[in-house]
Amino acid sequence: MWSGKGKTAIVGVGYSQLTRHSQKPLGLLAIDACQAAMADAGVAPEQIDGLTTYPELPALGAGNRDGEDIVSVMYILNQLPLASDIRWYAQIEAGMIASPVIEAVHALLAGACDYVLVWRALHQPRGRYGAWSSTRASGEAQFVAPYGATSIFQWHAMQWQRYMHKYGATREHLATFVTNSRRNANLNPRAFFYTTPMTHDDYLASRWIAEPLCLFDCDIPVEGCVALVLTTAARARDLRNPPAYIAGYGQNTSRRRTLFHYALDDYIACGQSLATKLWASSGLGPRDMDAAQLYDGFSPSTLYWLEAAGFCGAGEAWSFIQDGRIALEGELPVNTFGGSLSEGRLHGMGHIAEAVFQVTGRAEQRQISGAAAVCAIDGSPMLRGSGLVVTKEA
Amino acid sequence: MAEQQQRPLPAADELTRPFWDAARQHRLVVQQCSACGYFNHPPRTVCDACQSQTLAFVPVSGKGTVYTFSVMFQQNIAGFEQQVPYVNLLVELDEQPRLFMVANLPGSEREQVKIGGRVEVYFEDVNEEISLPMFRVIAE
Ligand SMILES: [Zn+2]
Repeated sequence: MWSGKGKTAIVGVGYSQLTRHSQKPLGLLAIDACQAAMADAGVAPEQIDGLTTYPELPALGAGNRDGEDIVSVMYILNQLPLASDIRWYAQIEAGMIASPVIEAVHALLAGACDYVLVWRALHQPRGRYGAWSSTRASGEAQFVAPYGATSIFQWHAMQWQRYMHKYGATREHLATFVTNSRRNANLNPRAFFYTTPMTHDDYLASRWIAEPLCLFDCDIPVEGCVALVLTTAARARDLRNPPAYIAGYGQNTSRRRTLFHYALDDYIACGQSLATKLWASSGLGPRDMDAAQLYDGFSPSTLYWLEAAGFCGAGEAWSFIQDGRIALEGELPVNTFGGSLSEGRLHGMGHIAEAVFQVTGRAEQRQISGAAAVCAIDGSPMLRGSGLVVTKEA
Repeated sequence: MAEQQQRPLPAADELTRPFWDAARQHRLVVQQCSACGYFNHPPRTVCDACQSQTLAFVPVSGKGTVYTFSVMFQQNIAGFEQQVPYVNLLVELDEQPRLFMVANLPGSEREQVKIGGRVEVYFEDVNEEISLPMFRVIAE
């Protein structure tokens, strides 16, 4: 088990406004989220002496204007009245959303700083998200783009088709997951679909994006920011909120490189590699989780994570999620806030925030009883991902 | 621009030029490791299996099995606006398990595509320089 277990904690969570297209520049949304997180924690800006983010812009070939498309460490450093002498910062270029949180944990354990601000700001480029407009396909794109295969949702559609064929799942089974997420979103005032219920029939009637995936299998591109404040467990005890202790973590980056030339088994294997580290470091296992916040950029990902992380066996997730098992009142509530499908594409920061809210008893109408340990895992699970286990007790 | 935009076309580079040169001659070649025999696609600078840097393009049968497919409905890629909905195939070539190629299927064959179905390569001449390997359904 990891020697750092329970020695650091997330003590503050802040959201900016989340909208499809914000009139406000992304940098100002990030400031809103950071200020909200510090206020939530009861930590003054001048106490913050560590900064980290994962600033990647999730669009191909787009620009990188700091404060508009991305929000870097330097941007926040220059805009907020933080400690006059910042002791530690890191800008993460690989991994996924939990990765900067993991770096913050390392810095706190090393004594490199006392209070860390972590944020993830997402901009939605104008035009169709992920659209491909170039007439040239270079690098590995020359083997996919000439066939009109450039989007991550096409890649997911192909692998979900394989999954259904291999294990006997149908769209009706996936509908159970999507409608359960929507039911949870109907208890989350931040969610886009807070006031809109969804039935299985609504799901089945929605338009194709790439068959067998439809509109409601895709997360909602948004602009906005989520920020967190972390500190050591010793300092956390004196703060306003109950701490969400970091019990363990895992990261994984696939050594394979192309987007499309994968087997379905590779998805699961990549996720298993992350989950193995997550459970080993925390000394906890899937059966110890009171809820699971599992990345859902496209709905099949959550099913792959259920299998990869050992909540059920290989090929079983489609049946595991039936019969209310993943509902708020079920044995394993999944994506209790509605996930990216309803709250928006925050690349997993919403999942971490919800894990914190659940173990600290701050999930309001969505609160599950006795939430002592919750995991938040981001990634596809292919290519790369990162995850955390947070706990109520150190 | 009055004319409809062309679909994205491969910009061959040092690594991939032999593949596209062969395609122009309507031959399908795949990069094979001279040390261990492993096929690498898309082409690599080091072998995925043994990390050897000695790699050469060799002719392959052009026959394979549909590993999976999807039907694209979104008008997301310039040059494909008139083609939606179209089929994206992931073909597993006969030469090696998990030796995958992405391709399209002729529009008329959309109803015939199924996982495990047999396909073979053909070439579509796009312009003077580029011929794209495509796949079509064949009898079992
Ligand atoms: Zn080799």
